[in-house]
Amino acid sequence: MKSVAGKVLFAAFSVLYPALVFCGLEFWGLSPRRLSLMLIGLAFVHFFNVTKGRSKGSGGSQDRANIVKNFALVALMFVCGAIAFFADNILFLKFYPVLVSLSLLAFFSFTLWKKPSFVFRLACLGDKSIRTSPSCRFVERYCDRVTLVWCVFFVVNATIALGTALVGSDRIWSLYNGLISYILIGILFAVEFMVRKMMQKKMQSYIPVCDLQRDSRPDGAIVCFDGASERTWSEFVSDVSKVRRFLESSENRPWILHCEDSYFFIVALLSMLQSGRKAMVTANRQEAFIKEIKKPGYGFITDTPFGDASAGAVQIQDILNGPEVETLWNSFDKNAAEMVMFTSGTTGEPKSVPKRFSQFENELYELVKVFGDDWVGRKVYSTVNHHHIYGLLFTVLLPTATGLPFRRHRIDYPSELVSLAGEKAVIASSPAYLKRLAADAEKPIEFKYTPIIYSSGGPLPEEVARKCEGITGYWTTEIYGSTETGGIAYRQSKNGPIWKPFEVCKMSIGENDCLNVKSSYILEPEGFTTGDLVEIYDDGRFLLKGRADSIVKIEEKRISLPEVENRLKQTGLVQDVRVVPMVGSRQYLAAAIVLNAEGREKFKDLPKLEINNFFKKHLMQFIENTVSPKKWRYLEELPQDTQGKIKMRDIQALFGIPESPNFKILKMKREPGTVTLKLVFPETSDFYSGHFPAFKLLPAVAQVDMVVTLAHALLGTSQTVSRIQRTKFSYPILPNVPAILEMSYKADAGKVAFSYTLEEGRALSSGTLVMTEAANA
Amino acid sequence: MNELKSRIKEMIVTALELEDVTAADIVDDAPLFGESENGLGLDSIDALELGIAVKENFGVTFSVVNEETKKHFYSVDTLAAYISANMPK
Repeated sequence: MKSVAGKVLFAAFSVLYPALVFCGLEFWGLSPRRLSLMLIGLAFVHFFNVTKGRSKGSGGSQDRANIVKNFALVALMFVCGAIAFFADNILFLKFYPVLVSLSLLAFFSFTLWKKPSFVFRLACLGDKSIRTSPSCRFVERYCDRVTLVWCVFFVVNATIALGTALVGSDRIWSLYNGLISYILIGILFAVEFMVRKMMQKKMQSYIPVCDLQRDSRPDGAIVCFDGASERTWSEFVSDVSKVRRFLESSENRPWILHCEDSYFFIVALLSMLQSGRKAMVTANRQEAFIKEIKKPGYGFITDTPFGDASAGAVQIQDILNGPEVETLWNSFDKNAAEMVMFTSGTTGEPKSVPKRFSQFENELYELVKVFGDDWVGRKVYSTVNHHHIYGLLFTVLLPTATGLPFRRHRIDYPSELVSLAGEKAVIASSPAYLKRLAADAEKPIEFKYTPIIYSSGGPLPEEVARKCEGITGYWTTEIYGSTETGGIAYRQSKNGPIWKPFEVCKMSIGENDCLNVKSSYILEPEGFTTGDLVEIYDDGRFLLKGRADSIVKIEEKRISLPEVENRLKQTGLVQDVRVVPMVGSRQYLAAAIVLNAEGREKFKDLPKLEINNFFKKHLMQFIENTVSPKKWRYLEELPQDTQGKIKMRDIQALFGIPESPNFKILKMKREPGTVTLKLVFPETSDFYSGHFPAFKLLPAVAQVDMVVTLAHALLGTSQTVSRIQRTKFSYPILPNVPAILEMSYKADAGKVAFSYTLEEGRALSSGTLVMTEAANA
Repeated sequence: MNELKSRIKEMIVTALELEDVTAADIVDDAPLFGESENGLGLDSIDALELGIAVKENFGVTFSVVNEETKKHFYSVDTLAAYISANMPK
């Protein structure tokens, strides 16, 4: 009680000090010596406060600093008071306001150096939930800045106070220190308060998706946009109501969900979650696949016309174009809401992964905590598919939870990125897109605001990340994770290849030296063991060391595929490479290589055999001949799926096509049921012989023959054609001019549809082949 | 003899499923195994395969694999000499 009284006394006298000194001199005719007793008295009161306070202090470094500061202040007050007393001089009495400013400066700046800063501590005292909220880092950063502003203020104030003490009259000194200085403090408080209100408005209000209320956002808040058109929150609520009404008009059943438009997707997904329908999210909408997963009674909702009428696909646009309905909206239990995701897995077979919505919700919380403060005031763009976990989280659920507007359609081409130059953008991307961006962009894009770019789905080569930084000004943040685990860790490769795990992820080494993860968004208590070899450091960060299946045996000799790949990269001529094990009459390795600019230059006119021999010779220094690759392909891009995932199986399929002098494969993209190839037919190809020797063009029969060969090797069709339907040869295929061959196979009809086009899109030829009988796909 | 050599070369390319190499590319006296400028750079597994292929194509067997037999596998020339000497008449 005494100590409180002492503090009040001290504070009151400190505030009134300039006025008291002025009155003492001007009106009461007190000598400086007498007035100095007030300062000395004040010093005693402060000394008493400080010694009382210390006995119950907790002894943290901040407390210690505070005590040192207080004693220094007391000492200086005594010194100033004593000098004023003995010299009977007013000057040293006028130093007191300077001392107060300096002592506050010392304290504030110390807390900036030894965090948390004073303002942040005050904020946390006022609102205990700050420390656990996802926007904690954002608040802390803001408070640090405010602390810094106060430091600057104290420097300025101390300087002016010193000036008024040294050269100003008594009147000016007391006017400044007794009034103006307090008004300035008041103004600073008021301005900071207004800025804080503005920042709070700008800070996206994160609300868990399951807790969103009908009025969680202003009616006019932009949910998504596409070109000039926008959808607002009230339209969103009404659209969800319509879909809910539709879903709830029939008995509860699981729904397969595929919508290319992210807005339609989130409307449908949220409707299912709110009305307790299980949502099965699939990127693959091949008829055969939908047929496989669509058990009797299951619904199927989509925004793209679906060929097979028997699937009973519901077009979401039909529901949304229907009449208005009463608002249906409620929060839901995240632990009860069920979803299913599909992953292609590393083997290529689609695998279903059951999910609870709590898993996504918990991950969102973590993502907002780590990245949220970077997103303030931005719009969300995507180059990835939102039917996969990373796209789902970053491009659909995050904007919904944080209230950031998102673009309804993906950015497909690197060239489109320029159109975002004026926007504040968050871009969820993948190595597939960024690699192309790095290869295509000729000059940096002049972004008005540096975009924030994420990449996931596979490792982003450091070289590509560096190039993208040159183009966009941002070092891509990579997310490492999987459908089963969600996000595990993140990195920016400018800081090296080490991954920093999300706080909630607990790493350990599991079976086969693979990474095991436990987190709040993995349901199994034993966690999930990935297929990635790992080295974990003491601080929890880790290094990935390739896939466990990356160690193979070739004729009893163990070899690590990444090792061979890294040795090939050492030549400095290779941009990308994958080495795969093959089985023929013997086991051997095969290497698919994308040469870099130096490599292309070096090997420009050399026969392939000599290029092979160059690499073989290099490898011989490190590895045995038996495990040195026996077959080689030089491509423009490694075979991948549309997600940009490079699968061993696709590369093996590529090597399954015997090398031929007649054609060369430059690129390959494979999805279940379809394959797209970039082919070139050299002028030396046998296909041209006997056919217009002077003007070489690829005969129709050769084009069809190519389709038969490649469809057999890559799509598993039979090798013989029973009928040819609807062929059209509209433009010749010329030597050395690359053509894109797209083939899709419908197994039940035994039909292969094909088309040859030029890269810029010109149609060359197309048709459908009916194969003799459906071979095993 | 030249006919035999080209048959051997065809056999090497086919049996070992060699890519980017045609029979015409194989130099008669260049070493088949190990590292060399104009050789094929075959490995020990290829040697086993080749032994089987020689037996299937020419009926010539190598009952024991020793330093002596390795010499016969040195090049197309040495292999042709060995096969023509041992081919069942």
